[in-house]
Amino acid sequence: MPPLLEVDGLGKRFGGFVALEGIDLAVNTGERLGLIGPNGSGKSTLVNCLCGALHHDSGHITFDSRAIDGLPAYRRTRLGLARSFQLPRPFRSLNLVDNLRIPLLYTVNARPGTRLSESAIDERCLALLYDVGLADKAARLPRDLTQVEMRKLELARAVASAPRLLFADEAMAGLSPSEIEEILVVLLRLNEQGITIVLIEHIMRAVMNFSTRLVVLVAGQKIADGAPQEAIRNPEVERAYLGE
Amino acid sequence: MGAARFWGVSFLVAAALLVLTRGLIGNEYFFFAGYVVLQYIVLSTAWNILGGYTGYTNFGVGAFFAVGAYSSVVLHKLTSLPVPVMILVGGLMSGILGFGMGYLTLRLKGVFFAIATLALAIVAQTFIVNWDYVGGSRGIYVIRPQQAPLYGSYIQYLYSLMLILAWVSVAIARTIERSRLGLGFNAIRDDELAAEAGGVPTLRLKLISTTLSGALMGMAGAPLPYYVTYLDPASSFNLSYAVNSVAMPLIGGMTSWVGPVIGAVLLGTIQQLATVTISSALNLLIVGLLLIAFVIIAPNGIVGLVQARRRARLR
Repeated sequence: MPPLLEVDGLGKRFGGFVALEGIDLAVNTGERLGLIGPNGSGKSTLVNCLCGALHHDSGHITFDSRAIDGLPAYRRTRLGLARSFQLPRPFRSLNLVDNLRIPLLYTVNARPGTRLSESAIDERCLALLYDVGLADKAARLPRDLTQVEMRKLELARAVASAPRLLFADEAMAGLSPSEIEEILVVLLRLNEQGITIVLIEHIMRAVMNFSTRLVVLVAGQKIADGAPQEAIRNPEVERAYLGE
Repeated sequence: MGAARFWGVSFLVAAALLVLTRGLIGNEYFFFAGYVVLQYIVLSTAWNILGGYTGYTNFGVGAFFAVGAYSSVVLHKLTSLPVPVMILVGGLMSGILGFGMGYLTLRLKGVFFAIATLALAIVAQTFIVNWDYVGGSRGIYVIRPQQAPLYGSYIQYLYSLMLILAWVSVAIARTIERSRLGLGFNAIRDDELAAEAGGVPTLRLKLISTTLSGALMGMAGAPLPYYVTYLDPASSFNLSYAVNSVAMPLIGGMTSWVGPVIGAVLLGTIQQLATVTISSALNLLIVGLLLIAFVIIAPNGIVGLVQARRRARLR
């Protein structure tokens, strides 16, 4: 079976600064992939290029055996590529239900054959909020949420688009250990439901627990790709994280 | 209330208003002043579709308004079409302008977009000033037909058309507000990147918003040559159209269709009263003072004030 997402020689530069260079990556269906790297190594740029928020300069991206180079972000979301943002970006003037209604109306209902009725959308919104433990705040505005709840809303909104591949971009940054555990539980459950997950994360304990495979980026290049325990013992990775 | 029901109810309200005012009020000046208030309902509602729902501030209202007015001038010189048709053509022209503006400037955000719209107004005005066929900077006289269609005076006729236009634009705004489109507009206003990640085709929606908003503004401007009978660039491109169209939704409230209507009726009426009783130069001062007052006391407008009170009572 061909990989769900295939990245071939991806490159991105900002002026003279090379943010990503020659990235090759394959993500298989059902996988839990951890993506780590020091600050500024290009993790978020990679996610932005893959999800269409930025356009890459060279290389090719294939999703579900289909070239998606140059497709705008919303088309990629409709194909089944969802993301959560590093800093939560809720729709501040909309209540939680309407926050989830956006991807349901614009992604799920835009796909052929999955059209939901008004009431089905309402039900789905509530069910999604229930899954992340936010059902009792359905009518609240995002400003009433705590940090961890905001992250959960961010995940719920990404999941609402019924993705096949989910990029969770630092969904746990700044959270306490018990809160990290809560998010991990949510992510594992999503993976069991069949969503392939790429976790971009700094918190090593979480990444090591979660991932079935680890990819390490340093200075815009992929320096390791493999089983988590092996990848972090890679001398290049040790050098990048711990210095010479 | 569903969209169809709202169209019906608001139609009845507009029709009743039309029959009552035309039946009961004999003073010609009422229709002269009422036309302006209604015109501002259309302008501020149109502005709010882009400014309030979608979150893009347009200071180029004058350009859209004047394009509608000048397209009527051209039609007046070339043809003898009835005014309702001119309104449609004016809306088409400024809708095209809105689409073009959207396409060229929507990569700009916030204040940069606002500046670009201001520049658009200047470009359009320069174009008209140098176009001799429509009078150039001299302006142009437009002779009204002697007889108004149907019955009553010509001003009453224009007033009736503007009332219909106000009804249509308010009903359109209300329909959008409760629709998938309106929710998409709100998502763009709140966070464009997140909207796109949620599957919202932001560019397409922004183009719909600029086109629709521009078209309604042009429709409001199309009957203007017949209303003033003398049209010149300085007055038709006047910045006060933009200032008023921004101030009215701000004062009324930008999140709902009611806001621009309340703002336009309130501010428009005060301005008309001040023009008659004090001086016409006082208009913009009143707008300025009210705007400052509202930004301080009720930043979400009158609608926001009412909503906050209702929410407080529920708790």
